[in-house]
Amino acid sequence: MTAAALFQSILASLPEIVVVTGACILLILGQLVRKGQGDFLVSASVAVVLVAAAMTFMLAGEVRPAYTGMFIADRFSIFFKAVFYLATVLTLLLSRKYADIEGIGNSEYYVLLLLALSGMMIMASASDLLSIYVGLELTVLCTYVLTGFLRTQRRSNEAALKYVILGSVSTGIFLYGVSLVYGLTGTTQLDGMAAAVTGDPRDPGLLLAVVFIVAGLVFKVGAVPFHMWLPDAYEGAPTTITAFMSVGPKAAGFAVILRVFLNPLVAASNVWIIVAVIAVATMALGSFVALVQDNFKRLLAYSSIAHAGFALFGVVAGGTDGIASVMLYLLIYSFMNIGIFGTVIMMRNDDFSGEVIEDYAGLAKQHPGLALVMLLFLFSLAGIPPTAGFFAKFYVLVALVERGFVMLAVIAVLLSVVAAYFYIRIAMVIYMREPKRAFTPALTPLLRATLAFTAAGTIGIGLFPAWFLRLAQHSVFGG
Amino acid sequence: MGLPLLSLIVFAPTAGAAVLMFLRSDNAIRWTALATTVLDLALCIAMLASFDTTTHVTQFTERHSWVPALGISYALGVDGISALFVFLTALLGSVCVLASWAAINRKVKEFMVSLLVMQALMLGVFCALDLFLFYVFWEAMLIPMYLIIGVWGGEGRVYAAFKFFLYTLAGSVLFLIGVIVLYFNSGRTFDILALTAQNLPFPIQSWLFFAFLVAFAVKVPMVPVHTWLPDAHVQAPTAGSIILAGVLLKMGAYGFLRFSLPMLPEASAYYSPLMLALSALAIVYGGLLALAQDDLKKLVAYSSISHMGFVTLGIFALNLRGLEGAILQMFNHGVTTGALFLFVGLIYERTHTRSIADYGGLMKAAPVFSAFLALFTLSSMALPGTNSFVGELLVLSGGFAANLAVGAAAVLGALLSAAYLLGMYGKVALGPASVGALFKIRDVNAREMVAILPLALLVLWLGLYPKPFLGIIDTSAKHLMVQMHGKESGQ
Repeated sequence: MTAAALFQSILASLPEIVVVTGACILLILGQLVRKGQGDFLVSASVAVVLVAAAMTFMLAGEVRPAYTGMFIADRFSIFFKAVFYLATVLTLLLSRKYADIEGIGNSEYYVLLLLALSGMMIMASASDLLSIYVGLELTVLCTYVLTGFLRTQRRSNEAALKYVILGSVSTGIFLYGVSLVYGLTGTTQLDGMAAAVTGDPRDPGLLLAVVFIVAGLVFKVGAVPFHMWLPDAYEGAPTTITAFMSVGPKAAGFAVILRVFLNPLVAASNVWIIVAVIAVATMALGSFVALVQDNFKRLLAYSSIAHAGFALFGVVAGGTDGIASVMLYLLIYSFMNIGIFGTVIMMRNDDFSGEVIEDYAGLAKQHPGLALVMLLFLFSLAGIPPTAGFFAKFYVLVALVERGFVMLAVIAVLLSVVAAYFYIRIAMVIYMREPKRAFTPALTPLLRATLAFTAAGTIGIGLFPAWFLRLAQHSVFGG
Repeated sequence: MGLPLLSLIVFAPTAGAAVLMFLRSDNAIRWTALATTVLDLALCIAMLASFDTTTHVTQFTERHSWVPALGISYALGVDGISALFVFLTALLGSVCVLASWAAINRKVKEFMVSLLVMQALMLGVFCALDLFLFYVFWEAMLIPMYLIIGVWGGEGRVYAAFKFFLYTLAGSVLFLIGVIVLYFNSGRTFDILALTAQNLPFPIQSWLFFAFLVAFAVKVPMVPVHTWLPDAHVQAPTAGSIILAGVLLKMGAYGFLRFSLPMLPEASAYYSPLMLALSALAIVYGGLLALAQDDLKKLVAYSSISHMGFVTLGIFALNLRGLEGAILQMFNHGVTTGALFLFVGLIYERTHTRSIADYGGLMKAAPVFSAFLALFTLSSMALPGTNSFVGELLVLSGGFAANLAVGAAAVLGALLSAAYLLGMYGKVALGPASVGALFKIRDVNAREMVAILPLALLVLWLGLYPKPFLGIIDTSAKHLMVQMHGKESGQ
């Protein structure tokens, strides 16, 4: 690698470098900060993310391949990075009060969040199976620790342990698939793979490799049959981390899935059939199991499984519209899901956990504004217009029908009717029950601002989707 | 282009709702809501006054690009068919506010906001000229209606609200897929007028017909999928029932008129026997069920199923008389059944019972009330001189022209409606005055009178001199017939 190429590579990956460096500095500074200075940690972390975001957009002018084909900073990755920045900043803002309530005083919490962010960024930009692996591991290692961050709580520990064990197995499977690909094609670069295969792309060895890679990747987005870890991890993790995991790493997983599955070689092996089956099963399981949940976080975990299933339908569709629909879906999902988690986090105050759905009975009587915002997020998650959630689903359906998958579209909408049931059940509890107790939500200005921002996004993208749609369509790779 | 009149009509209620958010006193909220709906009604009347009845072309058209990448635009416009329903919706909006004046006494602000948002969305449905926009309005209605039934309804309101929500959602998602399929089969446009001009191959028409049918049949409701209606009607507050019966049920029929017939003419003609049979079934079955009810609201609800059967019968008779009768009957049903639900609500406010068995001799206790009830009861059973007579006669004559057996079933339904309505009126208003002993009943007050009078006026006006109303419909209905048969014979 020449010095010029190295310089170009560093330039292309500058945002990642900023985040990692920021995290390291924060780690050191964190040891000097006394307890109770959460404000400093939050604002420093937000500043790091904002600097990285500024760099990303300044470098957005051109496509920058880097590190001899391991890494690429293209519009596709920039779109995803924007989603990650959004998710991370919102999580940081939500964490401020929550950290006080749960007694999270260490700087490691923020450092790990930033490192997870850098991992996700690498995932979005990775153009080689090995750099994908590096990003993937960096992200999940941080989320393992963050899941178990409530050290004194049994639930949190159990969740983290389950997550680590299952996560390691899936990583192993993924690596095995990568090694098979390397053995068969002599390369791990996504672009090089297709060129290296001269024979039948449906060679049994290659198929096996593809199946392993698919299995490893869908684990990260919590698709059936690799979803087992997700409800436990979501329930046990600190709620802020649940919000983060349901949006950030999930979006990163989809970024990798899009890059890998729609790669010419993998696409040639008719991987869409596997993905279609997984999508249907994922959405069905998520929707039906969520029906019987009483725990809010667990319900949202299953809801996020169902949403992953819906987004996978976009992967099945493929093509410019298919890819763009997944990207738009993830962007919109970030707004509404962080929003709904934000309300759950806000309810966590004093001895009130806010984790049982029945706890919300009659919220609309005492806090009509908060209830209205929750209603907005719930209907958006259910996909009722004019919220953004509807447009997200609509565009995926358009992509499906465009490719002739009308039956899949019908299945998708029918399952989303099932899913609508449990969202409106929460709305029912909030609006149609009598309150049993006084609510004392932690209405700090920071939390209010976060909720207002996510609510504005949820309704705003729903009413004026044109700009966001164009953005997603322009960011599709190879398009 | 001058003032965007239709946008004003559609969004005036939302502006009113936004103002309500800042008010504190319940009375101020009621008056503001009333002022908003009256203003909206005045705008509608202004629109009708300058409506050109000699053309079928959509009028007051507005068009702005919304999501250009997918060919979605914000397009509004009315023709003879929709103009009538825009007026009906605005009229019933004011009636609803008046009907909820005293009946809703908790969370008044939230209720009125839901009501006004609901009205805006309903108006949007009738004005939309873009299929995507139509769907957004159509589906968004679920949110306020869910809350109106679920929060302010009766004992079993939660169950009723869920049932309403899920039935309607399940119906409309298939419609959504149909819309997207249509979009790709007609050069990627959601423009309703352009879609109407298409000529789709029969197999696609056939599939789309059923996709649309599910959505519209649930809303109408047609017989196999009608079970949400009695629950929703009985549990909804009075205003909710009026909206449901007066406007929401019309949307299914409006969907047939606006989409199924002109966009899928061959499929509509091919499946018309099925639709006629389902309509006849609804007429007779709904009538029989109504005959067996003791609950006033349930009786009116089941009578709605029967009467909406007449509407679908008229539509799928596929001749001009049936069509005009059906459109007129949709309007009539909105006025008459809306009024009947208003009456049931008014009397329930006084006695807190809806069981027919509890009543008797209302005539002596509340003569004015009973007299108006008589008018609307007679109108509902289509007595000559009332509005429904004109519509039902047209439908029957169209129905007989289409199919003798179906026409006969419709006549049977008309007889049944006389039986249950007269039976109900006899037990409630006539007979020994058991009412006075059981309850304190006061007659209608001025506010209630204001709500009743315009409806009563319409009943008589349409019954005695329907020409102006038929004039609004006529050109558009004829054009629809031309579209239907023109395309069919063009094959």
